[in-house]
Amino acid sequence: MLTNVLLLPITVPTAAALLILMLPKKFRAAIDAISLFGSFLILLLSILLFKRNLSYSMPALGFGIEFSLRLYHFSGFIVLAAAFFVFLITLYSNAFLREKSYSKQFYVYLLLSLAFINGAVLSDNLVSMLFFWEGMLITLFGMIYIGGKRSFKTATKAFIIAGVGDLCLMLGVAICFYISGTLAISKLHIPISGIGGAAFILLMMGAIAKAGSMPFHTWIPDAAIDAPLPFMAIVPASFEKLLGIYFLSRISLDIFEMSPDSWASMTLMIIGSITIVFAVSMALIQKNYKRLLSYHAISQVGYMILGIGTLVPAGIVGGLFHMINNVMYKSCLFLTGGAVEKQAGTTDLEKLGGLKKYMPVTFICYVITAASISGVPPFNGFFSKELVCEGALERGFIFYLAAIIGAFLTAASFLKLGHAAFLDKSKNGKLPIKEAPIRMLIPMIAIAALCVLFGVWNSLPLKLFIQPILGQERLGGRDFSGMPHNSLLVVITIMVLLGALLNHRYGVKKHGSGLKAAEHIHHAPVLSYIFNKAENGYFDPYNIGLNISYGFSKVAFLFDRAIDWVYNVFIIKVSKVFTAAARSLNDGSYKSYIIWSLLATGAVVIFLIKSMIGA
Amino acid sequence: MKNETLLLLTVSVPVVGAFIVPIVGRVSEKLRNLLALAFVSTSFICSLCLIPSALSGKVTSIAIAFPLGFNFVLTADCLAVFMAAVSSFISSVIVLYSFDYISHYPNRDEYYLMVVLFLGSMMGLVFSGNLIFLYIFWELTAIVSWRLIGFFREKHHVLMADKAFLVTVFGALAMLVGFLFIYQKTGSFDLLVIKENFKGVPVPDIAVLLILVGILSKSATLPFHTWLPDAGIAPSPVTALLHAAVLVKIGVYVFARLFISTFSLDAAWHVLIPIIAATSALVSAGAALVETDMKRVIAYSTVSQIAFIFLGFSVNAEIGIVGSLLYILMHGLAKGGLFLCAGIVEQNTKERDITKMGGLIATMPLTAVSFLACVFSVMGVPPFGGFFSKYMVFSGAVTSGQVGIAVTFLFGAVLTILYLLRLFNHIFLGESHGKIAKEESVLMVSSVMIFALVSLACGIYIKYPFLFAQFATKQMLGM
Repeated sequence: MLTNVLLLPITVPTAAALLILMLPKKFRAAIDAISLFGSFLILLLSILLFKRNLSYSMPALGFGIEFSLRLYHFSGFIVLAAAFFVFLITLYSNAFLREKSYSKQFYVYLLLSLAFINGAVLSDNLVSMLFFWEGMLITLFGMIYIGGKRSFKTATKAFIIAGVGDLCLMLGVAICFYISGTLAISKLHIPISGIGGAAFILLMMGAIAKAGSMPFHTWIPDAAIDAPLPFMAIVPASFEKLLGIYFLSRISLDIFEMSPDSWASMTLMIIGSITIVFAVSMALIQKNYKRLLSYHAISQVGYMILGIGTLVPAGIVGGLFHMINNVMYKSCLFLTGGAVEKQAGTTDLEKLGGLKKYMPVTFICYVITAASISGVPPFNGFFSKELVCEGALERGFIFYLAAIIGAFLTAASFLKLGHAAFLDKSKNGKLPIKEAPIRMLIPMIAIAALCVLFGVWNSLPLKLFIQPILGQERLGGRDFSGMPHNSLLVVITIMVLLGALLNHRYGVKKHGSGLKAAEHIHHAPVLSYIFNKAENGYFDPYNIGLNISYGFSKVAFLFDRAIDWVYNVFIIKVSKVFTAAARSLNDGSYKSYIIWSLLATGAVVIFLIKSMIGA
Repeated sequence: MKNETLLLLTVSVPVVGAFIVPIVGRVSEKLRNLLALAFVSTSFICSLCLIPSALSGKVTSIAIAFPLGFNFVLTADCLAVFMAAVSSFISSVIVLYSFDYISHYPNRDEYYLMVVLFLGSMMGLVFSGNLIFLYIFWELTAIVSWRLIGFFREKHHVLMADKAFLVTVFGALAMLVGFLFIYQKTGSFDLLVIKENFKGVPVPDIAVLLILVGILSKSATLPFHTWLPDAGIAPSPVTALLHAAVLVKIGVYVFARLFISTFSLDAAWHVLIPIIAATSALVSAGAALVETDMKRVIAYSTVSQIAFIFLGFSVNAEIGIVGSLLYILMHGLAKGGLFLCAGIVEQNTKERDITKMGGLIATMPLTAVSFLACVFSVMGVPPFGGFFSKYMVFSGAVTSGQVGIAVTFLFGAVLTILYLLRLFNHIFLGESHGKIAKEESVLMVSSVMIFALVSLACGIYIKYPFLFAQFATKQMLGM
């Protein structure tokens, strides 16, 4: 059957993962080779599948539950992107994880995650999507767990946060079935009023939890420290954005009937704006390469949610374009972080500096991708951010303002990071540091080159990948490629970027080093108090949620003990009173016992016969 | 073999065999063990053989007429065969595990007698087509579990066994009175006769209430649940058998048998029972998050998960009933695995307090991975089977319009994730507390791996249990 081809994106990675699982740990070369060859095979496969329309389904189980897959433009694009990044990250990991004892487990989880994400994206049935979607919980836990001896705490945190999101999704799916009697994604068109609104909220929570938006974000900075670095580049930076934003667009564009003036659109834009501003503020004050990047992984989701939430063509195109751009520059940034970690032995900015001299290629890749994420023209991030800004301005000035503040702080924090790591005077004792090995450089160079390509020649990604997702009808015949249409916005953006540069120079001059370039913001009155609380997890929704759960549990436990007391103490006391009375009836004489028994038997027989006749 | 013969063998082999076991035990330990396994797995194989005819819609039954509505009836419909297959499979694995576990302790003959008799009375209960015989088998399981809980004979243990016995027998007596109310209306204990009589006629609420007391006490649901965590002092395979897989499912089974299959409930009960279940789910989940005794945590988790089963059965939606049937299967497998893992840990570390454990994954990797797999299944994480049952129970609650209850249970499911991960982390991850324990028995580790793998297989090949459960539901609802 030709349509069975559709199963391959799920079965090939699973098979490769199982094959690796069966090999002993010491066959390192074979494990590396299988993972690399396997991911290359999947990449080829997804290139072949791209731009095709196929579907496959097994006989339905009932209650709408069906294993059915549908390949069309959008899902094919996500499958292709996921395969591309998995291939590059595998190549990188082959070198990066060389001395690590957990490399075998990492590849197993990585390939299984790819199978799950492909399954989730290709599924045309909500339950079958949920099956793959939630399956990623296991690989998420595993990939963070292997990072170190104490990593399991972060793994637990990630699992719980993602698990809550997934449970919301599960309930949302159940409500969708209740409303429309089907679970086929392509057949769902639910109005967002009444219980449909509840379904929307739940599905949206599942989607943004996967994408790592606020308030489901706090495990990401912790994982940046505890998890193996390639995990950060592939899961929070790539997989979760691709899957979360994919599903968010499906919800907003296909599953629910939403209009730009609906409360749902407003909710999305508010979540997006808050995420942009608060996460990037936290990024600004970080003093660790990876942790700083991780807050950007959160903040950038805000742009995507804001863009899609506007529900106007410019915003949606911008949000989706930003998704793929973010996956590129964010994973590359993490990869540069990994190169620094491997070569310099640390990612603590207090101990880094002067790496430009020793790691020029890494530095160039950093500069390109940092410029992309900051929205510097002509890199890819500039064009997608402009589109999001255009869409946001169409919906309200306040959302545009959030996007602009985000752009300012993003630029500021990357100036700080680059300055501290690559330009400041070296504080590292272990000199000279060498450039990263070639297998780590190739993925970085490839992605950085794409960041340039997708910016300079943005009509390629926009026309090939992004705009067909919306289709001509929704686009209204507009084409968003080429230079941004609103030149006023471009001028504002450039002014904001220049402002960030000036701010950086001011900070450097005041405090004497790139690392401290943001100290004047960090230690500003009021802000310093808030930053301090935030750094200590005071606002962490996870901690708050846990405290509520533990508080509830203590009350529940007391209640439980109270019930147990009734059994252990109260009932015994009461029954002692009764037994005292009953004891007097036990006179030890057979005669009276026989009479009691006969009377009772007689009563039972009379009851039975009476009932028989009565019925 | 004829279906009637198979049905008779399913029930009679373990019931009669139970009394042969201790006699053989006088001659050879090994032969006794194998014989016990053979008796229990005979039930499993026979109930498997009954599946094809059950799926073809045929109801096999054996009836011996007695006056006054006391007909002895064994009925093998889809529901009964499903339940029998699930409980006898789990029991077989538990008996296999017992070979090594129980060899450390005295009174082994009695142990095997009780375990085989327990399964036998369970089979009798499952296939009973008559309320009085259902009651007799019900009490038989209570007596057997009383002996098994107090197996170690210490004073405190005997007290806990008494508590379990008294609470469940109190419930059973209330249920018996409820049966009498039904008898008063119908003049028979035969379920078929009762079903005919209650077509379109409501069952007296007092009878429903009394029967419900029995069901809730047997299935350890609030406010009759505290005997279950206390019974955790029993040997681990016993707790697996009683708490996880088989005994506590009696209540929910009888719920399905009576309130879904035989007569229908008044609409108010479809709202009231989910509320009871929700309270039970949350209170016990909370307690599980506070407890530090490994087996008590798992026992509270059972109370909480049983509430999900009640929810699915009681909301009056087809998908919920299918979900709950699957839940019985998935939860039995996974929770059985958890208790058996706890048994391995306990026997090798001589420790039950989770705050004094840690880092055992290094020395007990297979147990840890199996434990984690079972944990995932209980949480409802795919690709394990628990995912489908949890989703369908939620879907059932939503389908009946009870979104509020569904949200409450969502919180219960979040607590499930919290307490199970806490349990796993404390036992297997983190710093080791100096207790280095190895997985000594191959047999015990393979038993838990069987549970983990079957949980996984049930998720991937969900089609087969799903279709079976769906067919059973249709048969129960007379569709």
